[in-house]
Amino acid sequence: MRAGSNSPTTSPADAPFAVATSGLTKRFGDRSVVTGLDLAIPTGAVCGLIGPNGAGKTTTIRMLLGLVRPTSGSGTVLGHALNERAAYMARVGALIESPSFYPTLSGRANLKVLARLGGIDESQIFVVLERVDLTDRANDAYRTYSLGMKQRLGIAAALLAQPSLLVLDEPGNGLDPAGIVEIRGLMKTLSDDGITILVSSHLLSEVEQVCDHLVMINNGRLAFQGHVDDLLSEQNVELLARTEHPEDLASLLTLVRATGHSARIGDDTLTVTAGVAWAGELNRLAARASITLVHLSERRPTLEEAFFNMTGAATGDANLDHAQAPR
Amino acid sequence: MTLILRAFRSEWVKLQRRTLLIGTYAALMIIAAFFTVLVFARAGHPSSGDRDRFVSLAELAQPGGLVLGLNRAAVLLGIVAFGVAAAQMASEFSLGTIRQLLVRQPRRPTLIAGKHLATLTFLAGAAAVAMISAGIAAIVMAHVRHISTSAWGSTAGLADLGHSVGNIALATVGYATLGLIVGLVLRSPVMSVMFGLVYLLIIDNVLSAVVSGASRWLPGQLLNTVASGGDSTTNFGTALLTITVYLAVSLAVTVALFARSDVTS
Repeated sequence: MRAGSNSPTTSPADAPFAVATSGLTKRFGDRSVVTGLDLAIPTGAVCGLIGPNGAGKTTTIRMLLGLVRPTSGSGTVLGHALNERAAYMARVGALIESPSFYPTLSGRANLKVLARLGGIDESQIFVVLERVDLTDRANDAYRTYSLGMKQRLGIAAALLAQPSLLVLDEPGNGLDPAGIVEIRGLMKTLSDDGITILVSSHLLSEVEQVCDHLVMINNGRLAFQGHVDDLLSEQNVELLARTEHPEDLASLLTLVRATGHSARIGDDTLTVTAGVAWAGELNRLAARASITLVHLSERRPTLEEAFFNMTGAATGDANLDHAQAPR
Repeated sequence: MTLILRAFRSEWVKLQRRTLLIGTYAALMIIAAFFTVLVFARAGHPSSGDRDRFVSLAELAQPGGLVLGLNRAAVLLGIVAFGVAAAQMASEFSLGTIRQLLVRQPRRPTLIAGKHLATLTFLAGAAAVAMISAGIAAIVMAHVRHISTSAWGSTAGLADLGHSVGNIALATVGYATLGLIVGLVLRSPVMSVMFGLVYLLIIDNVLSAVVSGASRWLPGQLLNTVASGGDSTTNFGTALLTITVYLAVSLAVTVALFARSDVTS
């Protein structure tokens, strides 16, 4: 496991963490799905939970929500032990995988089922329907909803209890780009209200934009947790250079490699593994060889590249892409 | 208790669905009326060998004549109760809504208790309209067959009515509880209802006919005995006690297993 700079040095059960686990493990028969997971999600964070398909994300979420019993390990959610789930679930809202509702009931009636069950004031139904922009279709049967509307109703259900911890499993599924932007805005608003959000998503660009904290799971084990910037700073920064005459690139490549830096040519661009601090040196190197640079910039790795680097899924984790990936 | 009441009120939002409410209530009204009409229409002066299959006109004029048709429909009322309870429980798994419910109510036995209580009240309403329907059909058919109804309103007649209603209500609770258990175990509405139909209508009856004394311990036969107020092989009290023990133990084990099981649907 690698951890960012804000990884906890104290016990994960400490109060500053909305979610903290220690050695959380789940086995189904002989197959270990989650192994020794030590999570520490700070209170108030917007935390992205990422990992390839089958990495153990959903099982982890289910263990936190009490739907699946851990084989071993311990943890706390909102300060309560995992086996005291009745004590914390009233303050948790969750959208788990695809939204599941009663097809013949209206969106409003579906929320009424949950509101009554949770002892939630039914006036809250109107508030959450407004929040996800479903008021106009609230009285229509759920089965008539589009995929995006179903997803929005799922988010409304998660918000119903005015949660302190919101768990969203693939909230972008089925949403159009405008819907995704809306969800992003909603998460930011909720975060501003002090709600801790744990969001599992295939949309790494979304995670990068919305989340300040990251948990990366691979093969059921923690690969990274910490601030997004900490993860990205661990990745190699590159300098991109273009020359006035493309035929000069080969000469420049030789000069750069002579300095000990790693470099390659592609798409009429020289890519050098070096930070912006070396840009001046590269410029001088070119000038001394009478090569004119017409472009020089720094490129920071994206979360997706960091993800692929860390999970070794360079050929593409199954179904993990920029597009919405229905599951 | 408050938490059970929450689950109860929540379940009633679903039970109010027009298709379920009107469909079930109408089906039971029709079944009860149909059996009553059948009993009165076929009543006559049966020979001694036919007494098990047909009632006589004289019997229908007795204090208990009003509920004879309803008693004959009790098994089908029970099957409907079983189907509704099983489908209500199993559909939570097939739809995946059990996850949502457990997020809002993590105490699983509490959730089950509230849901089942709601289903029982729903079925109590269904049984009530079935009884009213059977009563109306009996009065109409008595007029058609020129059967005297004066004994029906006597003290003995009202006592018979009370006993029949109580027995059918107890059997309905039993059938519904059996449905809940099967729904929790099989987790598929279609499979659960099919299982109920095949077991209660075929297997239970075949076993009881083939194995001597089996009607004293087969669940379906015991529930029939409770509904009819006892029969020649098993008295009411023994049948009620036996089926209560069966259902209590089965329910306790099933709910305990569910409380510890992983919900991955």
